Amino acid sequence: MMVISACMPKYEAPEHDAGETNSTSFVMVGGTFASGYTDDALFKYGQEHSIASYIQQSLNSVNPSSFNQPYVDDGSVGLSSSGLSRLILGYKTDCLNETSLSPIRETSMGDANVLNNVYNGVPYNNMSIPSLRSGDFFNSDYSNQNPYFGRMSSSQTATVDEDISAVNATLFSVFLGLDDFMPFIKSGTRSDSLPDLNTFENNYRQLLETLTANGAKGVISTIPDITSAPYFTTVGWNDLLLDSANNSTLNSIYNPLEFYFTEGYNPFMIEDPAANAFGVRPIEEGELILLSVPLDSVKCYKMGTIFPFRNEFILTNPELQEIRTHLDLINNIIRSLALEFNLGLVEAEEFFNNINSGFPFNGINMGTAFISGGAYGLDGIRFNARTNALFANEFIKSINQKYNASYPMVNATNLDAAFFP
Amino acid sequence: MRKLFAVPIAFLALMTCEISFSQGYQVNFQGQKQQGMGLAGTAIYMDGSSLFFNPGSVAFSNENSINIAVTPISGNTLFVDSTTSQGYRSNSPIGTPFSAYGLFQLKDHAKLKLGIAAYTPFGSTVTYEDNWIGRFALTKLQLKAIFIQPTFSYRIADVIGIGGGFVISTGDVVLEKDIPVQFSNGEFASASLSGSALGFGYNLGIHYDLTKKLSIGLSYRSRIEMSVNDGDATFNVPESLDPNFPDSTFSGSLPLPQVLTLGVAYKANKQLTFVLDINRVGWKAYDTLSFDYALNTESLEDTKSPRMYKSTFAFRAGGSYDFSSGLSLRLGGGFGFSPVQNGYITPETPDNDRWYGTGGIGYIFGDHFSMDATFYYTQMTRTGHNMETGLSGTFETKAIAGGLGLIYKW
Repeated sequence: MMVISACMPKYEAPEHDAGETNSTSFVMVGGTFASGYTDDALFKYGQEHSIASYIQQSLNSVNPSSFNQPYVDDGSVGLSSSGLSRLILGYKTDCLNETSLSPIRETSMGDANVLNNVYNGVPYNNMSIPSLRSGDFFNSDYSNQNPYFGRMSSSQTATVDEDISAVNATLFSVFLGLDDFMPFIKSGTRSDSLPDLNTFENNYRQLLETLTANGAKGVISTIPDITSAPYFTTVGWNDLLLDSANNSTLNSIYNPLEFYFTEGYNPFMIEDPAANAFGVRPIEEGELILLSVPLDSVKCYKMGTIFPFRNEFILTNPELQEIRTHLDLINNIIRSLALEFNLGLVEAEEFFNNINSGFPFNGINMGTAFISGGAYGLDGIRFNARTNALFANEFIKSINQKYNASYPMVNATNLDAAFFP
Repeated sequence: MRKLFAVPIAFLALMTCEISFSQGYQVNFQGQKQQGMGLAGTAIYMDGSSLFFNPGSVAFSNENSINIAVTPISGNTLFVDSTTSQGYRSNSPIGTPFSAYGLFQLKDHAKLKLGIAAYTPFGSTVTYEDNWIGRFALTKLQLKAIFIQPTFSYRIADVIGIGGGFVISTGDVVLEKDIPVQFSNGEFASASLSGSALGFGYNLGIHYDLTKKLSIGLSYRSRIEMSVNDGDATFNVPESLDPNFPDSTFSGSLPLPQVLTLGVAYKANKQLTFVLDINRVGWKAYDTLSFDYALNTESLEDTKSPRMYKSTFAFRAGGSYDFSSGLSLRLGGGFGFSPVQNGYITPETPDNDRWYGTGGIGYIFGDHFSMDATFYYTQMTRTGHNMETGLSGTFETKAIAGGLGLIYKW
């Protein structure tokens, strides 16, 4: 026996300590990203692998406590914000009759039952609600306006703020603000607007006052530049491949406007009222084409060439500049609120930048390539389970650092990315 | 006599863990007497195993002999991930480095000795527990190389022997890892590369008796490039990804580095002998592990993984005390530098600088038979990361080996 143990290195499990935190009652406040909404739907699997779930998993290793999420039924195909089911990987035949692996809806319709109110008297620890914005906290009609809150609110007139208060959190994390930007960004800046700075700050401050009213500790996160997600980068600005015939056609159309094409790769054409009398120009490097473009129209019906992309599918450089400048201002507000309330701060931008620049993670090459990049879900905007866990680790690190705690990091290596048929 | 047998049997019974390896993927179990004395013995004729250690020393033999030995080695590696602090163990099988030597002298040419040697100077089998955190870097590596070495040795002067052998190396390699894409049931895909390899080299040595008591030896074992052609690359992936990961063949090669050894031996008296070996191992040859697939796709490109080994020294020393009863006791140890640099630590060879200790016992049964048994122990800890995979943590390895050799001479 002595020799047997002599040739087995001994594993000493590390001690985990709560430091100055009390994790008896943890709450996460966030929007779509933190709710477990992924693959463009709210469904149970996504909720089980939400950022909050992974933070709780770590907290449990010191102090196991109950964690309540407004789960969708097992087996439900989920419900997207446009009424569709979740995306899965499947085969899709395009207008050229080419069949390839692609995200497809699992069923033709989403599961409307998802919207049935599931509140059972116990407050929810994951108070992350798809589409939740900073301005929605004190809206007593919000349950009716956002059915994703309606399905979990404690009453028809309850405000988000009241339902957060009911948790009596001792520890919290907040990843909020992305949904204040999202409708504006996803519409190619055609609808909605950027969040007003003062209003954002006041609302965020009031949320933190609610959360810290009983002395709870917490961490809050800045907002990443989501335009680096695959949804915005999969169709490249110069992915237009022209053969000789199409090249001549386009040159005959656009040469009078002094736009010239060559055989091979070219920039797509986009609408831009400011460009010239015809309001069209080639897209420039750095400008983004959204994955909302109808790809069949691009492949078979000359969209992006003879028929330039409409602005709703495009983020131009000035638009991106405007978004990014505003994002910096919002993030500065979040940073100053972290100081003001003496909270931990997660620099989400750094984390996202890491993912976006690609890095090796235990033999997995993480990156932003659509699906094969292994970081984002099938909607190209939200993370998959693996990356949610890695992001949760950023919150745990911040808690540990701020409050002298040593909660363990979650092992994300074996967690799911995408399921291939 | 029963007691003596009991010792090596106990050694074998203790082989509970699995394999480790010496520095890099080098295995230094080629002679039981040398193993008892810290793996040194280049400057002295020991027995048939000198065909490996120094063909020049063989010229000083005065016998025909057949010599076989095996040294089961069992190592156990614990990896503790730096991020999660979770621990994972290797579960490799016991390694069985062996050696076999035949040594012959011609009646009419007393100065010439001929020999044939078969031994396993490189190899390792490492497997890690299921679902371990480094599964996408490696789940299994099995490397086997058997060297066959016909040898001649000639005593060119009373005090000088030279020798040389041609080496044919045959081997096979199996490398398996998981691929971070999942089947619809959540299982991860996997890749398996396997192939057989062939290489050629040589082993040269010279032995010089400076005085009756003091001798030196110099040996040089050449680098051998083990090339795999038409190895099998098989991928267990979801059906939809079959076109991305086509089963095909691959080629690649692994260098088995050159080893230059300077040895000194000192016979203090009839009973007591001391030996010292200094190895210079040309690990610098192993800078890249490349796999060239016959069929490439966007997902399956040829790989070039940096290894960036550096050449190293190892120091080995030991002593032997021979009782007149035919019993010998041996003790030794050594220190080896690791060829693996920071940033390039892999689960295949979680290597570090290390001390080791050895002991041995031998007994001569009459005119023809003798037996030797040995014991070896080492441990090491290596903390660091791999720049290519991002795997970061601490590898702790303990290895224990017991060897047994039999010699028949006439």
